[in-house]
Amino acid sequence: MISEPTIPSLEQLDATGALRESFAAVDGGSRRDFLWKGTLAGAGFLAALSTPAWAKGKGPSKSLDLLILRFGLTFEHLQAQFYEEGLRIGGFSEETKRWARVIGAHERAHVQIIRHVLGPKAIPSPFFDYHGVTEHEGAFTKTAVAMEDLTTALLIGLMPVLDSPSLAAALFSLLTVEARHAAWVRHDRGLLPVGKPFDDPKTIPEVNRLVASTHFMKSTPKTWSKNAPRFTG
Amino acid sequence: MARADFLKVAALATGAVATGRILLAGSPSVASAARRSPHQDRDILNFLLLLEYLQAAFYKDAVNRGALHGDLARFAQVVAGHEKAHVIALRRKLGSHARRAPAFDFGNATSDPHRFAAAATKLEELAVGAFVGQGANLTRGAVLRVARIASVEGRHAAWVRDIQTHLPAPSAADAAIGQHAVASTLRALGFIKGGAS
Repeated sequence: MISEPTIPSLEQLDATGALRESFAAVDGGSRRDFLWKGTLAGAGFLAALSTPAWAKGKGPSKSLDLLILRFGLTFEHLQAQFYEEGLRIGGFSEETKRWARVIGAHERAHVQIIRHVLGPKAIPSPFFDYHGVTEHEGAFTKTAVAMEDLTTALLIGLMPVLDSPSLAAALFSLLTVEARHAAWVRHDRGLLPVGKPFDDPKTIPEVNRLVASTHFMKSTPKTWSKNAPRFTG
Repeated sequence: MARADFLKVAALATGAVATGRILLAGSPSVASAARRSPHQDRDILNFLLLLEYLQAAFYKDAVNRGALHGDLARFAQVVAGHEKAHVIALRRKLGSHARRAPAFDFGNATSDPHRFAAAATKLEELAVGAFVGQGANLTRGAVLRVARIASVEGRHAAWVRDIQTHLPAPSAADAAIGQHAVASTLRALGFIKGGAS
């Protein structure tokens, strides 16, 4: 009855390579710059959001797309490692393990897709500390619901500010998947999978503030290389 | 993972975005992200409105016929309200350009729980694929409204799949379904009297 999930390759969302090509041409600041600013901000990617393109409320542009995709990458890392850690140390029920495994695999696939699209402009994963949330099934599940609902809101909020049509198309195909995740975990918890006829959008600064308030994300450059996740499939 | 499969999906997804025709709206125009326009928005929104009319009528009929129980009855009740709200939202956006609802005949798909669950899954997956296929073609003035509905269709799909113990999220990325494929699925379902176009 239950089939194995399909994990798409990088090519699925960027079949023509148009996305990769478009980001290769964007000057979004060097990787070293980004890391340095990130360290100062204390929460990894806060600094990226205070760049002129976002702060001045300019219209969509390629460099804003790049910023958005980097933000997306960090956010997918946050999720992928959350599920990975929960499965490794949590001792969860079979039902919880089932969705955590599938959803975790999806988030890892999203990381790979975005990293590939960004190419050399990809930024490394920050270090995460989930503060024990991954050790307790109740807290883990509750956090998963919040995270999936938040990702859904983030992707909706991004749609009107994207420049690249290919990027918009790719993010639409991730949006409905993140919404499925949210509904799935909610249903498993006995919550209404979908409470309203319209999901509400959230902007990147709003999402950023929420993520910062969890203190899940740590900027520890010295240990980045040690703690860099291996996405070997 | 089979690379060939992914490439096939990719071709499908990008093909739908690049060359999908708005057949159901009765317009010969080609939906294209490169040619976003308010006029094209109307075609796309009318195309999506047809799917919302269909879903709203389907769940309303299922609720009225009262053959569902438990989780499935709750699903139909909740989702009926959502689809109705989607119809209202799209009609409001379209104004005088909104298409009229066709007549529907659901046969026993709304009176038999198993048939209902199977048909609901097909309708929700069809809606997800159609929204994914058209979302990026919309102007900035219309895309937010549609994205807020697309995710809800994704939640519906996951919910009804989970009720049947099917995997709620079978893929890491949902594939777009182009208008041709949507039209032929609608014809195969046979719920729209007089055909889909």
